[in-house]
Amino acid sequence: MSFLKRERTLKISASQWYFIIISLFGIIVFGFVNKAEFLNYTLQEWTWLYALTGATLILDHFAFQLPPKGNGQSMDSSVYLACMFIYGPAFALSVCLLTLIISSVYYKKPFWKDLANFNIYVLMISGASIVFTATGGTIGTLENEKILSYLAALTTYFFINVLVIGFFYVILMRSTLYEALKSFFKDIILVYLSTLILSLALTILISSNGVFGLTLFIALSTMLSYSFKQLFTMYNDIQEKATRDQRTGLFNHSYFESLLDEEIVKASQNDTPLSLVMIDIDDFKKYNDQFGHLKGDMLLGFLGHFLHEECEPAEVVASRFGGEEFTILMPGYDEGAASEFVNRLRKKLNDTYYEGVEIFPSGCLSFSAGIASHRVDIHDKAQLVDFADQAMYYAKKQGKNNVHIYGSSSAKEHEIDFAEDVRDIEQQLKLFLYKDVDTFKHSKRVFRYAMDMSTVLKLDSVDRRHFILGALIHDIGKLEIPWGILNKKGKLTAEEWETVKNHVVWGKRIAETNEKLKELVPFIELHHERYDGGGYPHGYSGKQIPRLCRMLTIIDSFDAMTTERPYQKTKTYEEGIAELRRCSGTQFDPELTELFIGYMEQRMLEQQQPAAGMESS
Amino acid sequence: MVFDGIILGLIVGMIRGGLKQGLHAFGQLKLKGGWIFPVLLLIQLVIFAVQDQSSFVASISNYMFMGIYIVGMIFLWLNRDQHGFGLILTGVFLNFLVMAVNGGRMPVSLQAASVLDPYYVDMLSQGTVITKHYLLDESTRLPFLGDIIPLSPPYPRSQAISIGDIVMNVGIFVYIVQLMSGDKKKAEKNKPLETGSSA
Repeated sequence: MSFLKRERTLKISASQWYFIIISLFGIIVFGFVNKAEFLNYTLQEWTWLYALTGATLILDHFAFQLPPKGNGQSMDSSVYLACMFIYGPAFALSVCLLTLIISSVYYKKPFWKDLANFNIYVLMISGASIVFTATGGTIGTLENEKILSYLAALTTYFFINVLVIGFFYVILMRSTLYEALKSFFKDIILVYLSTLILSLALTILISSNGVFGLTLFIALSTMLSYSFKQLFTMYNDIQEKATRDQRTGLFNHSYFESLLDEEIVKASQNDTPLSLVMIDIDDFKKYNDQFGHLKGDMLLGFLGHFLHEECEPAEVVASRFGGEEFTILMPGYDEGAASEFVNRLRKKLNDTYYEGVEIFPSGCLSFSAGIASHRVDIHDKAQLVDFADQAMYYAKKQGKNNVHIYGSSSAKEHEIDFAEDVRDIEQQLKLFLYKDVDTFKHSKRVFRYAMDMSTVLKLDSVDRRHFILGALIHDIGKLEIPWGILNKKGKLTAEEWETVKNHVVWGKRIAETNEKLKELVPFIELHHERYDGGGYPHGYSGKQIPRLCRMLTIIDSFDAMTTERPYQKTKTYEEGIAELRRCSGTQFDPELTELFIGYMEQRMLEQQQPAAGMESS
Repeated sequence: MVFDGIILGLIVGMIRGGLKQGLHAFGQLKLKGGWIFPVLLLIQLVIFAVQDQSSFVASISNYMFMGIYIVGMIFLWLNRDQHGFGLILTGVFLNFLVMAVNGGRMPVSLQAASVLDPYYVDMLSQGTVITKHYLLDESTRLPFLGDIIPLSPPYPRSQAISIGDIVMNVGIFVYIVQLMSGDKKKAEKNKPLETGSSA
């Protein structure tokens, strides 16, 4: 926030400096050309001064807006130019001065704006007049044979205007002069040309018919101005409709996309911060279900209004992304500043009452927001949107009414991802609830052992994740084993045993269909391999089997031994440990077996003497 | 000249606001110290009627006109929040200023007066008849604020007017047009937001 503010004041002062310089220069030129001549005007000259000032005021009043935004264009230039051609630059400047005085009193605009405008006119008129006389033009009625002087004057007038305004945009928008001029030329050249040509028409009208000629001209150009104004209003209306979302009054998705493109380019070129915020209303569906879509739409409208009111003063752009999702594009904000802004927004919304918010779990309007800030390596807008979306998802997972910065607390993000993956796999394992409850329970137990063992083994987060998920999913292939074999009470035949052994291959195939599960394939495939090479399906031995798979084999076997199985007698934990010891070095990795036994003994000790630990401490 | 702005204002107001709406607006007209204006008009008429008979009234008529101007300007100032009244006040003040610095009379330039009836020009140049006007000369102060603007055909009335008159008439025009068509715009502005209530 503070960063942006500082930058903004800096911007304003840069453009103010520019205006101060232009104004000083203009005032000097004015003094030099005009020499306060108006003090000695005859009454007839005064009448003309009034008439021409009136004309410029009327045309100013009917000024129309031209792109770039906020750039007013009025046809008063034709009056100044005609004035300069007929009466000379000093008189034109007098008209200019009187116009300045009257309009600054009447319109109550900030004075420096009027003054800057006045001085730009002074420079243009004086410059044009110098070129006019230098190329042989004479003041008075229009002379056909000197048309080139007139054209030279008009061209000069135009170029001084374009340059002065162009440089202003260079300073204000920090674009290049070429860019500023390009948009300038494209948008205003026609209007400008007609203004310039009209100045010649006015010169002829005034010289031949005096005030009546001027009146005709004003009537004509007022109507022209008015039609231009209508045209641009219409143009803006249509543009507005194309870029606005009707429901919320915010920008729509397609406008947001194009804006994002522009801002990313700008941020990359100037190396300025840029943040994207993705907002999703919490429990909006609930509101919709409770009160109907009409009320839901009204709530969306209300939120749109809220976001607009909050975002506009901060010079950030809120758009409706779709459904109950909104985006805020924040040029100049790094993720810290963006987070500060969005959190303030969130709290304000929490404190805003809206009809029916009682039904929300939190009892108030809230949203979850994800923030992604632009980095040098991001060139594709979709990537930034994805990151923000991802961050928003994390915010939701942290209990909603939350703001999450993408990548800021990766531990938290991993945890959320992990929990999500566990849930996914559990979802698949649920099939066992019908087919083989024992396998379901077994998987859950092995999963818990794996959680504990990953702590014992001090695994890093990636290994831990793989190991635990692998443990949970390792028997997924058993889904393919026929129901009869799986639940058979007696001993299995050799053929049936072969079928059972196949579950590691089937499991592998199941896991391979899912991108997310691919990492877990070794655990599914190799958990029946033996340390001495006597296992299946490949008969790998020792280090050929990944370490964590060897670990899983131990856990898996231990749980199988110590829990009830159709074809096996149940062992106690002590018996299970003894069995592990017996097979250590043959079936199991001896080192890992010791680690597991150590862990199990510790656990049993704690379970038997729950108070012992407390007493000793 | 006072009527030009009124007539033009009524015409444009009628076009933009409609007759019914416009008349309704006049019915609702509320001005602070509204009684001042007719009283001033009455006093002026009395002065016109009496100054031929009474030399005393004639001798102080200039000062009385100045007084009327000041009271009128106070009335305008009281209602300065009305649209156009600022302009009317400015116009009246400009006229007042040039009259005040020229002994209570409005200077008329010979050139501008040439569009008028020659009889009137004669009257002015001889300075025999006492009126609110006198012929502009070298000694006139602020001549550019005097009646120096000639109005002639195709303008429907031939007159010499001052810049103050023009500003005043623009103000009257703005006021009347605003009065007759303004309410509609105001209503649009105050229209409640379409988006839901946040009570």
